[in-house]
Amino acid sequence: MSKAPQQDRLKLRRSKSRQWLGFDTQRLLKLFFGGNAVIAVIVLLLITFFLFREGLSFFPQYQKNMEQYRRSGMEFTSLVNEEHERFNQLFRSLVDIRKLQIEQLTAQGLSHEEIAQASAALRERIYAFSELAVPLRNYQRDVRNITRDTYALAQADLEDEATMAQHYDNTIAALRATFSTYEEINRQLVGSIEAQLALMPDFEGTGLQARAKDFRQDAEQFIVSLPTYQARLTAWQPVKEVSLWEAIASFLFGREWIINNDGHSSYGLLPLLTGSLLVTGIAITLAIPLGVGAAIYTNQMALRGEANFIKPFIEFITAIPSVVIGFFGITVFGSAIRWLSQQSALDWLPFFPITERLNAFTAGCLLALMAVPTIFTLSEEALNRVPKIYKETSLALGANRFQTTMRIIVPTALSGIISAVLLGIGRVIGETMVVLLCAGNRIQIPQLSEGVGVVFEPVHTMTGIIAQEMGEVAQGSMHYRALFCVGIVLFVLTLLINYIAQKLFQHERVGD
Amino acid sequence: MENPTPQHPHETDPDTPERSTIIEIEGFNFYYGQTHALKDINLTVEDNSVTALIGPSGCGKTTLLRCLNRMNDLTEDARIDSGKILINGYNIYDKDVDVIELRKKVGMVFQKSNPFPKSIYDNIAYGLRIQGIRSRSKLNEAVENCLRAAALWDEVKDRLNDNAMMLSGGQQQRLCIARALAVEPEILLMDEPCSALDPVATSKVEELIHSLKEDYTIVIVTHNMQQAARVSDHTAFFYLGRLVEYNVTEAIFMNPKDPQTEAYVSGRFG
Repeated sequence: MSKAPQQDRLKLRRSKSRQWLGFDTQRLLKLFFGGNAVIAVIVLLLITFFLFREGLSFFPQYQKNMEQYRRSGMEFTSLVNEEHERFNQLFRSLVDIRKLQIEQLTAQGLSHEEIAQASAALRERIYAFSELAVPLRNYQRDVRNITRDTYALAQADLEDEATMAQHYDNTIAALRATFSTYEEINRQLVGSIEAQLALMPDFEGTGLQARAKDFRQDAEQFIVSLPTYQARLTAWQPVKEVSLWEAIASFLFGREWIINNDGHSSYGLLPLLTGSLLVTGIAITLAIPLGVGAAIYTNQMALRGEANFIKPFIEFITAIPSVVIGFFGITVFGSAIRWLSQQSALDWLPFFPITERLNAFTAGCLLALMAVPTIFTLSEEALNRVPKIYKETSLALGANRFQTTMRIIVPTALSGIISAVLLGIGRVIGETMVVLLCAGNRIQIPQLSEGVGVVFEPVHTMTGIIAQEMGEVAQGSMHYRALFCVGIVLFVLTLLINYIAQKLFQHERVGD
Repeated sequence: MENPTPQHPHETDPDTPERSTIIEIEGFNFYYGQTHALKDINLTVEDNSVTALIGPSGCGKTTLLRCLNRMNDLTEDARIDSGKILINGYNIYDKDVDVIELRKKVGMVFQKSNPFPKSIYDNIAYGLRIQGIRSRSKLNEAVENCLRAAALWDEVKDRLNDNAMMLSGGQQQRLCIARALAVEPEILLMDEPCSALDPVATSKVEELIHSLKEDYTIVIVTHNMQQAARVSDHTAFFYLGRLVEYNVTEAIFMNPKDPQTEAYVSGRFG
């Protein structure tokens, strides 16, 4: 044998592949796939960076705004306003008592004149009470007039610092001049309320008596709390600086989200956060039994034909656009719930009948529907991952199928099921369209004192408020940044949930 | 169906004539779909003995084992064509047999050690808890007895609440045996219990099988010829779904009657 043919058989030299722009095919493919990954990462980083830049710059702006609010004396105005509001509430409950009294008297079949006569005593008290409010109301209007212009001037940001400081000082001096008036008003108020309480007529019937008793208590509490208003006034320091922490805290724990284009806006997250949590809570409470239960049934008990029907059907729910679900919620589901709540057979439920068609419960139910596929699919997968040998072993020990499922399969898959639930929560908390359409959009912290009935209150959510208000704000304004800040909270919340879910998932893999 | 006269096809041990039969397999034919997995099997197993099922892979020995406590019910397409399996005289494939009761009486240990991902204690107590036994003292007693019977007590008594996954492979397999003992079976089926174990762990399990023979009837599937010779009283050789030869273990290994058996036990194929 000669050497030449042997070399032919063993071709080890690299053959030349086709080249474009100096790269061979392999390199180009690598660049293409790598480039896609890089673009995805860069875009995500940009979004995160933009969100945080816009959102976090809210706090210094809010801090400055709060400082203007304080130094221009508006803060003092709001203190006075708070007292006035409380007095108004007292007044309204008195009016309510009379309304109830008239209703009861009408039900007894009395004529107009008789009713007027019977409730005359109370009417007198109501008149007297409304008279009492006059000095307070006037005082409130006066201090607002003093401070409003200064605040507007500060907001306009046209004057230099020295001039502005001068303005501030003038306003505060003018305010201080009124302090004695305020003290005098409060002192008189104590005396006159006590006098009115002494003149309150007696009522018949337990309902009225209870209301009157409540009113008396409220009024006494009001009198007791008057010195605290006075004390807050004395403690009020118009020149104290607002720290950044104060601004952050008043965002995170603020109880009011009020947008006021002319005057002062307050951006408090709590009503939105609690609204989101309430809706999510309702959704998850409903979705866990449905999703996990369906997964256990499909994986463990269903016949093959049933499973082949159930699985695609539940996964099909994800194909319904959320706006359609929201639409269904408004037109069908919300009305159905209200109709149901008005049936006399269900009167024994303490929170029925409900007045609002769109409320946290309506939104929660529909969100549950949207979370079920996620929870179902992932739970089913987790159950599927439990080694078949566990099932056989358990059956070989004389357990029946149900015992095997509940004592071996489900506990083994538990961490996977929990992570499925967490991902379901993540999906629900970030959902926008359904809550915007169905949650009722009332910016208000749900009243937990109502017990279970709290779920039928209209709420607003973090996602909803962003979608609703982002279109109307001026770019770069404080309101705009506040919405971004809400976005950050949402982002952090979802990130946290997904992170925990992933940790649990990994934990389970190690267990295999 | 009580049958007082034992039917041993190759009875050669005249010293223990009063030993009774516990398992009788008569003309048993079994299919997986179209595959004829077991062909006309006739076999009897004595009380308190160890019977080894040997043969090359796919010969049907594991299938037969899984038929004995009806684990094949879980396999799709599995069906019995003809014949019956009597345990204590009951045909276990009769309509009115309670499968759960059967599986309590015929325990099983699997090839791969598979403790539940629970504590050692809970693993053993599982079989009792599903029967509704809640009493702590009863459970404690049963756990200790079973672990002692499985020669595991001294190694784990201080860490009963540890996860069973923390045990070594051999300990896990003995734990599985202890778990099977907890439901007080009559018969213990073992499907290659030592195939995943090292020689030291294997010898411990073999010793255990020896001691368990006092109280239980054991049917063991093994690929390990030496193991079959060491632990069993009777040996059945399977080939392509047929029972080729069944005899006292010494006879199978020293003096096989069938040339196929001889070829297999001497290592010429399989």
